[in-house]
Amino acid sequence: MSTSAAETQPLQTIRLSDVCKSYGDYPVLKNIDAEVARGEVVVICGPSGSGKSTLIRTINRLEEINSGSITLDGQNIHAAMRTRELNALRSRIGFVFQNFNLFPHLSVVENVSISPVRVKGVAANVAHEKALKLLDRVGLADKAQAYPGQLSGGQQQRVAIARALAMEPPVMLFDEPTSALDPEMVGEVLAVMKSLASEGMTMICVTHEMGFARDVADRIWFIDAGQILETAPPEEFFKTPRHPRAQRFLADLRH
Amino acid sequence: MIHDVIAIIQDYWLLLLIGQYPNGPLGGLANTLILSALSIALAFPVSILLALARLSKWRLLRWPVTALVYITRGVPLLMLILWSYFLVPLWTGADVPSFVTMLTTLVVYQGAFLSEVVRAGIVALGSGQMDAARALGHSSLGAMRFIILPQALYNMIPSIISTFVSTIKDTTLGYVINVPDLTFAASQVNNQLLTQPFQVFFILAVVYYAICWSLTHVANLVERRITRRRAGLSGGAAPVLVSAKIVSEQL
Ligand SMILES: Nc1ncnc2c1ncn2[C@@H]1O[C@H](COP(=O)(O)OP(=O)(O)O)[C@@H](O)[C@H]1O
Ligand SMILES: [Mg+2]
Repeated sequence: MSTSAAETQPLQTIRLSDVCKSYGDYPVLKNIDAEVARGEVVVICGPSGSGKSTLIRTINRLEEINSGSITLDGQNIHAAMRTRELNALRSRIGFVFQNFNLFPHLSVVENVSISPVRVKGVAANVAHEKALKLLDRVGLADKAQAYPGQLSGGQQQRVAIARALAMEPPVMLFDEPTSALDPEMVGEVLAVMKSLASEGMTMICVTHEMGFARDVADRIWFIDAGQILETAPPEEFFKTPRHPRAQRFLADLRH
Repeated sequence: MIHDVIAIIQDYWLLLLIGQYPNGPLGGLANTLILSALSIALAFPVSILLALARLSKWRLLRWPVTALVYITRGVPLLMLILWSYFLVPLWTGADVPSFVTMLTTLVVYQGAFLSEVVRAGIVALGSGQMDAARALGHSSLGAMRFIILPQALYNMIPSIISTFVSTIKDTTLGYVINVPDLTFAASQVNNQLLTQPFQVFFILAVVYYAICWSLTHVANLVERRITRRRAGLSGGAAPVLVSAKIVSEQL
C-alpha cells in the first residue's frame, strides 16, 4: 500500500475537449478546451451572453453539445448512455442555480433530503439526519421546517447549496449564485462557498464577484463570444490580463 | 309551491334516491353520485397521462394524443355520447350498458379537458424546477411525480375543481341514452305528475347545486390547508382568503 491516494486518482477531474454548441445556426460555444483538476476552484467570468451559463450547463448535460467531449474522471458525460446511467452521473455533479430553484412545495429539510431518498434510495430517517447536519453547516439549522417562500434570497441559496451537497457530489457547479441576491446577502452565500473550497471541493463558479475570485479561485477562465480567451491564476489575470477583451472587461467592471 | 315540493319529496324520495332499485337497475341520486365519482376518479389519472404524453419528446406518443385532445375538445359532448351509444355496439357487436357508455365517454371527454389544465400547470412552472430535479439525478418520471406534478396540480386546483363540477353537471346528459340517474328519475316523476314540472325540476336543480357546491367547498378547505401549511401560518390569513376566492369564482 505504498501508493498514495493522489497517485491512484487521476489528477484531472473534468476535461472539456473541443466542445462546440450552437443554437440553430448561432454558435454559443466554440472549440472549448479546458481542464479542471481535483480540488481546483475555477471562476468563469466574461460579459453577459458570452456563453458562461451554456458552458457550465453542458458539464452536467442540462444542455447537449454538438461536438467534442466532456469527461468527468475519464467518463464521457455526453456519450450515448442509458438514462439511468446519466441520472447517476448527474447526481455526482452538484449544480447551484442563479434563481435557487428550490422546491417550493417541500419544507427546507425535505428539499435537502428528497434526492438522497428518491435517487439514491437512502433511508428516510438517515437522509433527514444528514439534511439537518448540512443545514447546520450552511447556518440554517433553525429553518429546517420552514418553506422556501418564507426565506430570504440568501437563505434560499444556502439551502440550495445544502441540497446539492446532500448527493455528496465530488464536483460543484455554480451559475451566478449571488446575482439574484440583494447586496447584503451576497456575503453569506460566498462564505459558504469559500468554506467548501477550503475543504477541497472541486468547484466551477460563474460569478461576477471579483473579490471572491481573487481570494478563492485557483484559476480564472475568461470567456467571450463562446471562446475561452484567457485562463490564468487570479493575481495574474487581475494585474496583467493579456487579452485586450479581458482588459476591457476588467476595466468595465471597475467602473 | 313549497307545499307541492315537500309533497313530491315525500311521495317520490325513494325513486329520486335510488331509482327502481331493487326491482330495477340502481338509479336516481345514488347512480348520479356513482357515475360522477367514477368519471372523476378515472378522468383525473387519464388526464395526467394525456398531459405527460402531450409533453413527451416522442412524436409517436405526442401527435396521436394531441389529435385526440383537439378532436375531443372540438366536439359537443352530446354528439360524443350519441356516437358511442349508436356506433360502438355496431362496430363491436357487443351490447354495452348505457351506464358504461356514458362513463367511458365522460372519462375521455373530461380527461381531454383536464389534460389541458394539467399541461398548462406543468408548463407554467417553467424549466427551472425540472432543471433542478434533473441536476440532482432524478429521472424524468421521478421528477414529474415528486417535484413537478405536486406543484402543477396544486396551482391548478381551482381549474381542476371546476372541471370536476362540470363532469357532475355533464352526467345529466346520460338522460338521452337512458342512463337511470337523478335527471332520469326526476323526469319519470314529472311524467307521472304531469302538472308540476316546475316543482319537480326545482328539486332537481337544488340537488345538483348542493352536490357541486359541496365539492367546491371541500376543495376550498383542502387548498386553504395546503396554503396555510406552506405559508407556515397557524390561522387563516390574508393569502388564504385570496386563494379561496379564486376557487369560488371558478364556479
Ligand atoms: N435556449 C436558447 N436558445 C437560443 N439561444 C440561447 C438559448 N440559451 C442561450 N442562448 C443564447 O446563447 C448565448 C449565451 O447565453 P448564456 O450561456 O446564457 O450566456 P451568459 O450566461 O454568459 O450570459 C446568448 O446569446 C443567448 O442569447
Ligand atoms: Mg448566465
